[in-house]
Amino acid sequence: MRLKRGKLATDPVAFEAFYRRHIDAVTRFLSRRVDDPHTVADLAADVFLAVFDSAHTYRPGKGSEIAWLYGVARNTLSSERRRALRESQLTYRVSGRRPLDSDDVSRLEEQIDAEQPARAAFEAMAGLPDGERAVLELVVLEQLTPSEAAMALGIRPGTAMVRLHRARKALRDLPFVMEGNPR
Amino acid sequence: MRFEEQLLMDLKAEMTARNERSRRIGRRLLAGAAVAGLAAVAAVAVPLLSGPEPAYAVSKNPNGTLTVELKEFRDSDQLEQDLKNLGVTADVTYLKPYTKCQDGRGALVGGGYDTPEEWRESVHYKVARPANKAFVIDPRQVGKGQTVLLEFTENPDGPYKSQLKAEVIEGSVKPCVPEHDPTQVG
Repeated sequence: MRLKRGKLATDPVAFEAFYRRHIDAVTRFLSRRVDDPHTVADLAADVFLAVFDSAHTYRPGKGSEIAWLYGVARNTLSSERRRALRESQLTYRVSGRRPLDSDDVSRLEEQIDAEQPARAAFEAMAGLPDGERAVLELVVLEQLTPSEAAMALGIRPGTAMVRLHRARKALRDLPFVMEGNPR
Repeated sequence: MRFEEQLLMDLKAEMTARNERSRRIGRRLLAGAAVAGLAAVAAVAVPLLSGPEPAYAVSKNPNGTLTVELKEFRDSDQLEQDLKNLGVTADVTYLKPYTKCQDGRGALVGGGYDTPEEWRESVHYKVARPANKAFVIDPRQVGKGQTVLLEFTENPDGPYKSQLKAEVIEGSVKPCVPEHDPTQVG
């Protein structure tokens, strides 16, 4: 199914379909980065709120939905963006402490446990320059292709390839860095 | 209920609230745009069908004007050629919803317009007028070395399904660079 530009923010049916396609991927994405179930749930809310704000940047047919969504999610995670969102009165219905019951908490905890190796990889990448780390993260941990990662980050595919190469060279002793989608 | 379901419900409520808000802001923007002279966008009802029939039909009227009935937003090159054969140099662009061509595609004949009144007196208003499911072009408004820009924007959410912006340009015409148009509302 392809979405029309902008529809994500205005059409409840289109948005619901999009949400159901990707909510699991988003909570896994977040479980690779934070280790607290409540924070994962709060961030998931923030990511989909950011989808409303960024819906006009989605180009059907230009790169995959998930690459675009990971781009949105990465921006959402930047602390500055999160602070602005928190201060915005407009999102009070959704943002903030999401209510979780004990089933939710244990499901999310399982997911967070499962993503422990990925979080360890993040720590290993911490010393890389931001640009290189961003590409490596999306290719190795999120399994995007280098050109999808480029789209998510708003850079040229060639730039992504160069950064990926440099990052892998810098971390060549770690087992995870050669994983990921080779395309 | 799983938190994912609760979150979806809350997000949809948020979407509804935002859409309401942007409709209100949109109306205000439209009102402002009219004063600023952007009223040159006229509604023309074009059904957005698809099929093997011709995308449009051009006919000559006794008073010298041409009626163009648009059935579908395609074959703009052919429409330009047909209009050329009838003596009108036109540049036809079909645009996606909520987009417009960037301003400044060429020198406006008469130097443009600043108010709705000026617009109504101008060649840009007279050159192409919507008429039910069609629009009427007046070839006499397009002089030698001039081109009429016809920019149609699909607007499936709006009452007329599409909008037409017409302008007469002196000399060379730059290609359309589509950009987001926040003033369009459903």
